[in-house]
Amino acid sequence: MSVAVAEKLVSKESHSQSKSLWNHAWESLVSDKIALISMVIVSIYAIVAILTVTGVIAADWSQEVGASYEAPSAAHIFGTDIFGRSVLLKTIKGTEVAMSVGFVTAIVAVVIGVALGGVAGYFGGKVDDFIVWFYTMFSSIPNIMLLVAITFIMGRGLVAVYMALGLTTWVNLCRLIRAEVIRHKEREYVQAATAIGGGHSRKMIKHILPNVFHIVIIQFSLLFQTAIKSEVILSYLGLGVQGRPSWGTMIDDAKLELARGVWWQLAAASLAMFVVVLAFNLLGDALRDALDPKLKGKS
Amino acid sequence: MNTWLYVLRKLIYTIPVLLGVCFLIFLLFNVFSPDPASIILGKHATVKQIEEVRNELGLNKPYFLQYLDIVKSAFTFDFGRSWQTKQDIWDMMKQGAVPSMTLTIPGFMISTVFAIIISLVVSFYRGKLLDKGTVILCVALMSIPSLAYILFGQWFFAYKMSWFEISGYESGFPYFIPYIILPVLIWVFLTIGPDVRFFRTIMLDEIYQDYVRTARAKGLSETTILFKHVLKNAMIPIITYVIIQLPFLILGALLLESFFSIPGLGGITISAVYASDLPVIKAMTVLTAVAYIIFSIITDVLYTVVDPRVSLK
Amino acid sequence: MGKLKVFGKLTLVASMLVSFAACTKKQNLDEKVLNLVVASEVKGMDPIYANDLYSSNEVARVYEGLLEYEYLKRPYTLAPNLAESMPEVSADGLTYTFKIKAGVFFQDDKAFPNGKGRELVAEDFVYSIKRLADPKLQGLGWWMIDGKIAGLNEWRDKYSKEDVVDYSETIEGLKALDRYTLQFKLSKPFPQFLYSLAMPFTFAVAKEVVEFYGKEFLNHPVGTGPFVLPVFTQEKRLTYTKNPTFRKKTFPSEHSEEFASIAKENAGKDLPLVEKLVVNIMKEDQPRWLNFQKGNLDFISIPKDNFDSAVTPDNGLADTLAKKGISLLISPQLDVTYVAFNHDMDLFKNKKLRQAMALAYDSKTSNKLFYNNTAMSAQSIVPPGIAGNMPNYVSPFRERDLEKAKSLLAEAGFADGKGLPEITYDCPNSTVSRQQGEFFMKNMADIGIKVKVIQNTWPELQKKIDKRQVQMWGIAWGADYPDAENFLQLLYGPNRSPGANGSGFNNPQFNELFKKASLMQDTPERTAIYEKLNRMASEEVPIIYGVHRQKYTMKHGWLKNYVSTDFDAGQAMYLDVDLTKKAEDLDKL
Repeated sequence: MSVAVAEKLVSKESHSQSKSLWNHAWESLVSDKIALISMVIVSIYAIVAILTVTGVIAADWSQEVGASYEAPSAAHIFGTDIFGRSVLLKTIKGTEVAMSVGFVTAIVAVVIGVALGGVAGYFGGKVDDFIVWFYTMFSSIPNIMLLVAITFIMGRGLVAVYMALGLTTWVNLCRLIRAEVIRHKEREYVQAATAIGGGHSRKMIKHILPNVFHIVIIQFSLLFQTAIKSEVILSYLGLGVQGRPSWGTMIDDAKLELARGVWWQLAAASLAMFVVVLAFNLLGDALRDALDPKLKGKS
Repeated sequence: MNTWLYVLRKLIYTIPVLLGVCFLIFLLFNVFSPDPASIILGKHATVKQIEEVRNELGLNKPYFLQYLDIVKSAFTFDFGRSWQTKQDIWDMMKQGAVPSMTLTIPGFMISTVFAIIISLVVSFYRGKLLDKGTVILCVALMSIPSLAYILFGQWFFAYKMSWFEISGYESGFPYFIPYIILPVLIWVFLTIGPDVRFFRTIMLDEIYQDYVRTARAKGLSETTILFKHVLKNAMIPIITYVIIQLPFLILGALLLESFFSIPGLGGITISAVYASDLPVIKAMTVLTAVAYIIFSIITDVLYTVVDPRVSLK
Repeated sequence: MGKLKVFGKLTLVASMLVSFAACTKKQNLDEKVLNLVVASEVKGMDPIYANDLYSSNEVARVYEGLLEYEYLKRPYTLAPNLAESMPEVSADGLTYTFKIKAGVFFQDDKAFPNGKGRELVAEDFVYSIKRLADPKLQGLGWWMIDGKIAGLNEWRDKYSKEDVVDYSETIEGLKALDRYTLQFKLSKPFPQFLYSLAMPFTFAVAKEVVEFYGKEFLNHPVGTGPFVLPVFTQEKRLTYTKNPTFRKKTFPSEHSEEFASIAKENAGKDLPLVEKLVVNIMKEDQPRWLNFQKGNLDFISIPKDNFDSAVTPDNGLADTLAKKGISLLISPQLDVTYVAFNHDMDLFKNKKLRQAMALAYDSKTSNKLFYNNTAMSAQSIVPPGIAGNMPNYVSPFRERDLEKAKSLLAEAGFADGKGLPEITYDCPNSTVSRQQGEFFMKNMADIGIKVKVIQNTWPELQKKIDKRQVQMWGIAWGADYPDAENFLQLLYGPNRSPGANGSGFNNPQFNELFKKASLMQDTPERTAIYEKLNRMASEEVPIIYGVHRQKYTMKHGWLKNYVSTDFDAGQAMYLDVDLTKKAEDLDKL
C-alpha cells in the first residue's frame, strides 16, 4: 500500500482511540441504567467488605443470637446456623473473603496474562517461544492439582487461595491476548503504523492494546466471579478459607443441611454471590460496549 | 512451509515443555510433599516400618533420580502403584477415563453446540430484548453454585419425579446412558452460561467488522452473513477456547462424579486429594499435561487452516 | 431459517434422551438379591491390606478365617469358623493348637490346575500369616501380631534386607503339624491373640493364586467364603454371586435371648441365604438416602442430617416411613470420640489447665448438634458393652461447669485465659469435623481461651501428629476387637506416636498397671484393673472425651435377619430377602 493510504488508516484508527475514548466510555456508562446499578452494587459490596475488614460492621458475627437452625424470621432475616449464629451476619462477613479473593485473583491473573500475552504476541520469535513454553507448562497442570500442591507448601488460608487461583487463571487470558495480538498485528492499521515508523511500545500500547482491551475487561469480570465460585469448590475439598465465614463454607455446610430442610444458609450465601456475580458480569458487558473502539457510535 | 514439517517442529518443541512440566511436578510433589508412611501404613505404623517404606518407594533416592523417574513416567505411563489402594495407577486411569468421558464429552458437545447456536441467534438480535434477556439468563445460570444444581437436580428430577437414576453407573454402551443423562444435563446448565457469553462477544466483534457491512450492502441475507462470514471468522477464538478445554475433560467432573457415583477420574482425583495419595495426583497431572500438549499442537495447526494470515513459521 | 432446523433437531434428540431415561430400571424380583451400600472407596481385595472397615467387609465376603464372631450373641463371642473347634491352649498360655475343618475348598479359579479349587489345608494359614509378616509387602495388619509369634519377627527382620523373601523357611511359632493341624507358639502371653484370627488380615489365601496373579492379586479374590467376586474393579458397584462350591454351613443356633426368633426361624438353613449380592459405593449422603427411599438399597445407616425427617424425638420411626414397611434399629458402637492434647508441650503438662478445658467443653450441646442427641456422653475412654466400662461412673470433669472451669484455669495460672497463647486445633477436612472444631473454639472462648481451627487431609493430620506439630486435635477411635485393652493402649506411654498413643500421655503408674493387665487372661481381676485404669483415664484428663456413638440403621421390611454389629465381616451370608414382601413394599414407595 502507498504511504498516503497508510497515513490515512493510521490517523483514522488513532483518532478513534484518543483520550476522548475514556470520556465517551464514562458518559455511555452512566447513561446506561443497568451499568449504573451494577456499578452501585459492586461499590456497595466493596464498601461492605472494607467495613467488615475494619470491624465496623458484622464484627460480632460469631455471637449466638438464637437456637440452632432457627428458621428465618423478622428478628433473623436469614435464620441461624448450627451454632445459632446469625446467617445474615455471616453472609455479610463473608463478603470480605469473596471480594478479596475475586479482586486479588483477577488482578494477579490480568497483570501476568496481559503482560506476557501482549509481549509474546507482539514480538513473536524467541520471546514468543519462551512465553508459550512458560504458560504451556503452567496451563497443562490442572488447577485442582496445582491448588493441592500450593496448599501443601503454603498451608491453608487466604494467601494460598489467592496464589493458587491467581497462578492458575492467568493462562487462559494470556492465550487469548496473544491470539488477538497476533491477529491485530497482521491487520492493516498496524502494518500501516509500521510503514510510517512507529516504535514497539507505541504500537503496542496505542494501537494494539485498546483493540484487545475488551477481552481484558470481559475476562476480568469472568475471573472475578470464577474466583468467587471456585472458593466453594475449595471449601468442599476442605482447602478453603479457615476460621472465618465465607460463602464457600456456608454452601458446604448446606450440603448436609438441605436434607433436613435448612435452606436458608444456602439461600443467603447463594443470593449474596448471585447478586455480585450478576452485577459484575453486567458491568463487564457495559464496559465492553463502552470501551470497544469498534463498537463506538454504532447501534 | 509444509504442515507436516510444522507438526514435527511442534513435536520437538514439546520436549522442553514436558521437561519443564515434570520439573514443576517434581518441585511441587517430591520436594514439598507430605510423608507417605502414614498413608501407606495406617494408624499402627512403627519408625522401622516407615524407614522400610521410604526405601521401598525410592524416597531416599537422590533428587535427580526422582526427577528422572517422573520424566520416564510421562513416556512409559508407568506411574507405579497408588499409596492408598495399592492399585496399578495406569490401570486405574484406563478404567476411570471411559466413565469420565461418557459424562464430559456429551456434556461438552451439547453445551458447545447449543452455545454457538444461541450466541449466533442473540447476536443477530443484538441489543433487542431477546439478546439482553439471554445474557441475563446466562449470568443467572452461572451465578448459582454447582452444588445447588446437583443437590436439587438429584432430589427433584431423580427422586421426586423418577425421571432419572438417582446415582450409579454401568459400563458398556448403552447401559451407561440412563445414569449419565442427569449429570450431563447439569453439566450443560453449568457450562452453557459462560460459553454463550464468550461466543456472543466474539460474534459481536465480527458483526461490526467492515466486511459484514460490505456483505450486507451487496444484499446478502442476514442468515448467509451469520453462517458464512461471521461464524467462519469467529472460529479462531472459538476453536482456541474449545480445544484448550478438551484435555481437562479427561479429568472428569469432580463434584458430579462424587454425587452420582460415577467411577471416573474425577472421583479418583477427589479421593486422592483427600488421602494425599501423591503418586495418583502426580500421575493425573502428568497425564493431563501430556494430553494438553498434544491438543495445543492441534490448536496451533488448526489456526493456520482457519486463518491463512497466521503463517507457519 | 437454517438455524431453526438445527435447533429443532437438537430439541428432538434431547427429548428422546429424556424419554429414554424416564424408563429407569425395574428391580429384578425373580431371585434373592441383596442391595448393600458402602460410604467409602473400597481399596482392594487383598486381606493383608484390609485395614479399614469397608475393605475388610468386602474381603470377608470371599475369604474366611479360623475364627469368627457369633452372629447372634452379645457380648461379642468368638466361635470357630474354618477351625473345627476352639483351639487347645497349653497351660502356660503360649501354645495354641487348631484342628482345621476337612473338606473346605477354595473357589474355582484359573489359577488352580483345571480351574478347580483345591482343598484348604493348615499350611495355607502358615503361608497367609507369613504373607502378613512379609517385609516386602508391608501388610497393614502386622501390628496385630508384631512381637507376638515366636520366630516371626526374626524372619521378617532377616528378609527385610534381602531381595527375595523365603517362605519355605520354618518358623518356630507358626507350624502345620499335619494336613489339618495348625500350631501357634507365642513369645509372650497375649490374651487378645484369638481376636486377631477373626480379623480379615489373617484370612486364608492360596499360594497358587497369589503367585499366579502377582501384583494383581488384590483384584482377583479367591477364598473359601460364601460369595464369589470374579474380578475387582473400580466400578461403583460390585456384584458377588453365591459360591457354588461353598461347604455346608448352617445358620448358627447359638444366640442371645433378644435374637431367639431369628435363630428359630432360620434353624438348619444352608448359608448363604441369597443368590446375589450387589454392593454399591456411594460417598455422598444424599444419593444414599434417596436410593434407600426408592428401595434400591436394603438398609442404610441414617445420615446425620436426615435424622429429623426419619426419627421422631422419642427415637421412634417417622410415620411416613413406618407405613412403607421401613423399620429402625439402634445399637451402641464400640468407639470413643475425643479431643487430644499434645503432652510433649509443657503447657499441657499442667493438669489443672486440661481439667479446666474439659469442664468448659459442652458435651451435651455437642451431642445435640452433631449426633442428634443419640450418642452417649463419654465419661472415660472405654465404651459400654465391654469389660472395663463402668456403667454408673460419672466423671468429675464431664458436665459443663463454667464457674469451676474458670477457677481451675485461674489455679492453673491463666486467669481468664491471660498468658495463654492461641491454641491450634487440627481436624480432618470433612464438613462435620470443621463444625466440631468451630464448636470447640466457641466453648473455649467462653473461658477466655483462644483456639484456631485448622483443617487437614487425613494423612496430613497423621503426619502432623507423628511429627508433633499439633497442639490439640479432634479424632475418634473404633474398636479393632472387643477388649478394653484396645482403648486403654491409646494412653500407654511406650505406645507413643507413631504408635496409637498420639497424645503422648505418659504416666508411670498407668503404664505399669496397663502392662500388667495386658498379660492377663480375661478374669475378674483383669476387669478390676481395667476399671482402675479407666478411672485414671478420666480423672487425669489426658484427653477431653466426647461421646460413644450409636448406630442408627434403617431397613426395609423385606430384609430378614439383620442384626446390627460392630464386626460386620461376613454378615451378608446371614441376611435374607422376602421377595413377596419386597414386591408389595416396592409398590408403596
